[in-house]
Amino acid sequence: MKLKNYDYYLIIITILILFGIGAVSLYGITYYNYLAVDAQWTQTMQYSQYIYEMNSYIYPFLVLLLISLGLCIPKRLFEQDMMIKTSALILGITIIFTIFSDLETGLGFILVVMTVVQTIVLILTIKKSRTIRFEKEGYLVRLGSSLLHLGIVILIFNFVDFQDNPYHLLIFWFGVILITSGNICSFYPEKISSLFPHE
Amino acid sequence: MGYIEYLAAREILGLIGQPVITYIFFISLFICIFSIVYLIKRDNKYFDYLIKCLYVSTGLYLVGFFILAWFHLQIYNTVLIEYPAAMQQMIPVESSRFAIPLWIENEKLYFWAMCASVFVLTVKRRKDILSFLGVILSIFSVIVYLLSNPFNDPLPIVHGEITRWFAALFTSDMTIFQVAGTLYGRITYYYNSTYMWTHPPMLFIAYASLIITFAACVFMLLKKDRLYDEIAYKYSKIGYLLLTTGMLIGYPWAIEAWKDSAWWWDPKISGSIMMWVLYSAYLHSRIYISKDKMWKMTAYLGIICFVSLIFTYLLTYIVPGIHSVVQP
Repeated sequence: MKLKNYDYYLIIITILILFGIGAVSLYGITYYNYLAVDAQWTQTMQYSQYIYEMNSYIYPFLVLLLISLGLCIPKRLFEQDMMIKTSALILGITIIFTIFSDLETGLGFILVVMTVVQTIVLILTIKKSRTIRFEKEGYLVRLGSSLLHLGIVILIFNFVDFQDNPYHLLIFWFGVILITSGNICSFYPEKISSLFPHE
Repeated sequence: MGYIEYLAAREILGLIGQPVITYIFFISLFICIFSIVYLIKRDNKYFDYLIKCLYVSTGLYLVGFFILAWFHLQIYNTVLIEYPAAMQQMIPVESSRFAIPLWIENEKLYFWAMCASVFVLTVKRRKDILSFLGVILSIFSVIVYLLSNPFNDPLPIVHGEITRWFAALFTSDMTIFQVAGTLYGRITYYYNSTYMWTHPPMLFIAYASLIITFAACVFMLLKKDRLYDEIAYKYSKIGYLLLTTGMLIGYPWAIEAWKDSAWWWDPKISGSIMMWVLYSAYLHSRIYISKDKMWKMTAYLGIICFVSLIFTYLLTYIVPGIHSVVQP
């Protein structure tokens, strides 16, 4: 398959996964409305069960999303063939972790991998390395995309595995800064460039 | 300074503000008529009338907003909550004032409509989109006037709380203690919270911007003109940026204000996640907009996104939850 087509289908799959997450959220709204028959229901076991169920529905979509977005698969570091093999390996290990432990451990593994990968991508982007490739050209767009993806990974990682960590909020704000600056760089590269005129 | 002064300010707000919103209501009817007539006849004369009405309407929205700001300032100046001595040992402050944001209760729809009006005036390149937005804005203004008029019974919940406080001052120490305790929580974690001053306005400005994305996406379905997509994308960037950051800012606020309360997977939060992933899907589909299938898909996605936005907003009023005004 040509690289251009590959990227196109990856975008389609990403859209479908995002729709999947939207559908789970919509189901959550309906289910909550069905369960909330009295004001005290959030203090019952039923509410804990609801949270557990919703998390278990959303986690597989998160794994798929992270893979499809190229967050986990080192899409930007390796060639297509190598990329597919690597992603299959990561997905396989995630499934093994999920089967022999639980979904959270599987998700934790994939999040560790992609945090490392996205950090490498960001460093390479900042250094203007030619080993990585992007859909869109332009240094600031590339930088924005890398910051955004790393921010999303860090935020999900923080939500899934660091809820009770004393640095939870500090990590959260770090993720927010990455995402916001990533969005600004991706959306307004020309305006940012004009702030720093080249000699 | 006290309750009498506060009541006087509240009455003045109604006296000055009510005519302003009534003018907005009538002008919105003209906006609707000129928009529809222009869309049918394509006569520039009607478009010129429409633009003039849009400027007047936006100006009035801003005037109304400044009047509301003045009222909020009066609340701050006239209402002082002095906590009982026994309570001061438990909390870090001796007294509080209400610093009430301008996007709560019946003011939030007004704020959203005002931001939308300002954004609409920045869409200059397409008369058809502007006319369609004129219809949307006029419907919006009518809803504000009939269902969420901030000058008719201003801030009813805040008013109830202030009235209860001043009434409690003439009762027992126990009652004062109870009312002060409730108000301390409301003022600290809600009205005066930094998050309250950042999280909702970012979302409302995002919603206002995304109205234009919706309108442009509707026209994308009618005609394959690259300019429609450019307009949709331009405003979706503003909307998405504010939506993402605004939503994220809500997280530490939820931890601080709700602590052990049940808020995760609350319907409003689920709705917000749904809306955000749909807008993410829209931005992804735009990458391949040059393909025929993706053009339509992007347009449909932009419309679905807006439907989810309206649905998420309405969730507060139709489904129970920690964000909601309805309870089981």
